[in-house]
Amino acid sequence: MSQNQPSITVGEFLELAPTRLQLQVLAGHDGVHTRQITLPRIQKLGLALAGFTHYIHPGRLQIVGQSEVWFLGQLETEKLREAIQNLSLEKIACVLVTKNLEPPTEFISAANCASLPLLQTPLLSSEAIQVVTDFLEEALAPRVILHGVLLDIYGLGVLIEGESGIGKSECALDLITRGHRLISDDVIEVWSAGMEKLVGRAPELLREHLEIRGLGILNIRDLFGVSAISSAKTIDLSIKFERWEDASEVDRLGIDTRTSRILEIDVPQFLIPVSRGRTLATLVETAVRLHLLRTRGQDAAQAFVARHAEMIKDSG
Amino acid sequence: MIEERVRITNRLGLHARAAAQLVRLASGFKSTVRLERVDGSASADAKSILSVLMLAAPRGTELRAMADGVDEREAIAAVSRLFEEGFGEIEH
Repeated sequence: MSQNQPSITVGEFLELAPTRLQLQVLAGHDGVHTRQITLPRIQKLGLALAGFTHYIHPGRLQIVGQSEVWFLGQLETEKLREAIQNLSLEKIACVLVTKNLEPPTEFISAANCASLPLLQTPLLSSEAIQVVTDFLEEALAPRVILHGVLLDIYGLGVLIEGESGIGKSECALDLITRGHRLISDDVIEVWSAGMEKLVGRAPELLREHLEIRGLGILNIRDLFGVSAISSAKTIDLSIKFERWEDASEVDRLGIDTRTSRILEIDVPQFLIPVSRGRTLATLVETAVRLHLLRTRGQDAAQAFVARHAEMIKDSG
Repeated sequence: MIEERVRITNRLGLHARAAAQLVRLASGFKSTVRLERVDGSASADAKSILSVLMLAAPRGTELRAMADGVDEREAIAAVSRLFEEGFGEIEH
């Protein structure tokens, strides 16, 4: 697992943010590639312009809307300069002006002086805040690269893990021929969306591809059609393959549920020992069906064990 | 083949978790390991969970443990120890 501190530069924000925002750079071009956004939540500059600057967070994108522009517009030049100076523009990540409003020229020149990127969007503040926050939440979410295969099986995102050469990709190919869908083979980009949700997808280059020893790199869309692939998907279940001889803690009853911890989120996991003659695709499909039943409150193993305990009690 | 008598001492008898523990232990040996009620009413392959569960043996049941194979001695010793220790459960 590799993990890095999420942050994006204003330049990356301009490049990757949804086109709906129609971003323009009004000033501060020099800071575009150096200023960093580190937090997904925006701030409104309102109170800070009125002198209450304590809560300005350097890593956040600052929104300037109708009320801020109106407030600045009615200040006398001297007061206006003072208000702008109090903001410490050199510390702010960037400012986004909404509704295509024109900020006062003093603000524009101050931004240029401080190399503070001053951006503009035609969207209303409420809409712009929504779009920016959604984008930043994904862009700045804690992320990790996992090795394994991610498939959509019966509508669930299933992560197949296990050491290299154990047969993950072959099993994935089997599952694809049975009508399930490939999300990513070998390298999976995973990020957390909210407190309890993990999302995985393929890196751009690997998308739609699967590598099989002896056959090479296959394009799954070409071979099996568009229904055999899927884009980003929530990870609902992990299935870990282990060599038969290494599998020490294999569950024989099926009453102990395991989890795999990824980015502080617990994902239910099945540990499946692998040996010759075991049809892994069938085992994976069955594990997913079992998981579906369990999440709907049906647990055959628990019921069986309870009946067995009754039987012992009666015979004792 | 060698054989030894064992008795189930834990409160809940040879319940599901204890059975799983026994099967895990027995599966680690090359020898075949079998369990049989001394009255001959039931017998089980100690490497098969369903088979062991079918013994439905409550506390106090006496069983014959039998092992046959290259490591039969070690297998019997390990199985008897598990029964003697009451499957590691703390008795109340």
